[in-house]
Amino acid sequence: MRRLGPGMKKSKTGHSPEKAAATGALFKVGDQVRVRDMPYMFYTRSQMYTRGVAGTIAALTYKDLIPEEEAFNFDGRIEQYYIVRFRQKDLWPGYPFDNDTLQTECPHRWLEPAKN
Amino acid sequence: MSHTHSHGKPGADTHHKAAPMVEEITDYEVLEIAVRELAIEHGLFTAEDHRRFTEWAESIGPAAGSRLVAKAWTDPAFKARALKDGVKACKEIGVDWAEPTGVGTPSDYMEFHVLEDTPTLHHVIVCTLCSCYPRPLLGMSPEWYRTTNYRRRLVRWPRQVLAEFGLILPPEVEVRVEDSNQKCRFMVLPVRPKGTENWTEEQLEAIVTRDCMIGVALPKPGRTADVHPIQKARRPVESSHQEAK
Repeated sequence: MRRLGPGMKKSKTGHSPEKAAATGALFKVGDQVRVRDMPYMFYTRSQMYTRGVAGTIAALTYKDLIPEEEAFNFDGRIEQYYIVRFRQKDLWPGYPFDNDTLQTECPHRWLEPAKN
Repeated sequence: MSHTHSHGKPGADTHHKAAPMVEEITDYEVLEIAVRELAIEHGLFTAEDHRRFTEWAESIGPAAGSRLVAKAWTDPAFKARALKDGVKACKEIGVDWAEPTGVGTPSDYMEFHVLEDTPTLHHVIVCTLCSCYPRPLLGMSPEWYRTTNYRRRLVRWPRQVLAEFGLILPPEVEVRVEDSNQKCRFMVLPVRPKGTENWTEEQLEAIVTRDCMIGVALPKPGRTADVHPIQKARRPVESSHQEAK
């Protein structure tokens, strides 16, 4: 069950813009990004199959707590989330359909700029 | 815990012991019961609160989602609003994502996107992490949506999994998997099928089933229910520990 604690209120209303800004300039829709391959402790929502793969920013969604901290009820860092679009061919070797795509969400810290 | 059934083997004993009421309970179910009992004991909520909430949550079905799709098909201005701000558009069809707590249902977030299909783009939704699903709009997710089989295979083999649901798409249609594993919740707005030109919103609602809004089926005239026939294995695998008992 999701706790109705200060973290939730903070993310919807009075979150600190400085904290989000401290993680670097935001990406824009259309930017090429790569999912970083970082270690994590105990919990993450950034799936292994996207690590190290390049994709395109499809949307900026919201700013909220990062899952790695929220999972432990810790009012930690708030970051911009993005929907990233990947070509299935880039995710899976030998994927047979050129047009197919996959989208998933990532918080800012999991993305780095990718060269075309 | 294992019980021995000899599935129709010739010469096997025909005496059947009473099956246990609960075949299997997962560690997480045990954990949920333990935490719930502790919470009740400590007065965080009452057993009555828990029962009421569970009944409320279980009573939500996919009907509101069908209404949203039918309205989007018949009212272009509403469709534009739904694509722009899903949560706001839901209010117009009587669904408030803030219920019942003021900030949404537990473990759901108030971020909701409607994904519009076109003749050359087909969306299908999965949550590889767990079972994220737009519950305020579509109710509880179907059992198969939560299985590891669907979750791990849909991202890797989407066309094959869709084919297992009876949906075979030509290669020129882009299949776009939406892995809903963070805080946004998603629903598919399918293409309005041919043969429904003069239909009323009510007629349209009837063909927009739950599976069409997840993206594993397409709406069509005459298809008003999601049916998943269970094909029993003709030669079931018998596990060795059962044999040994």
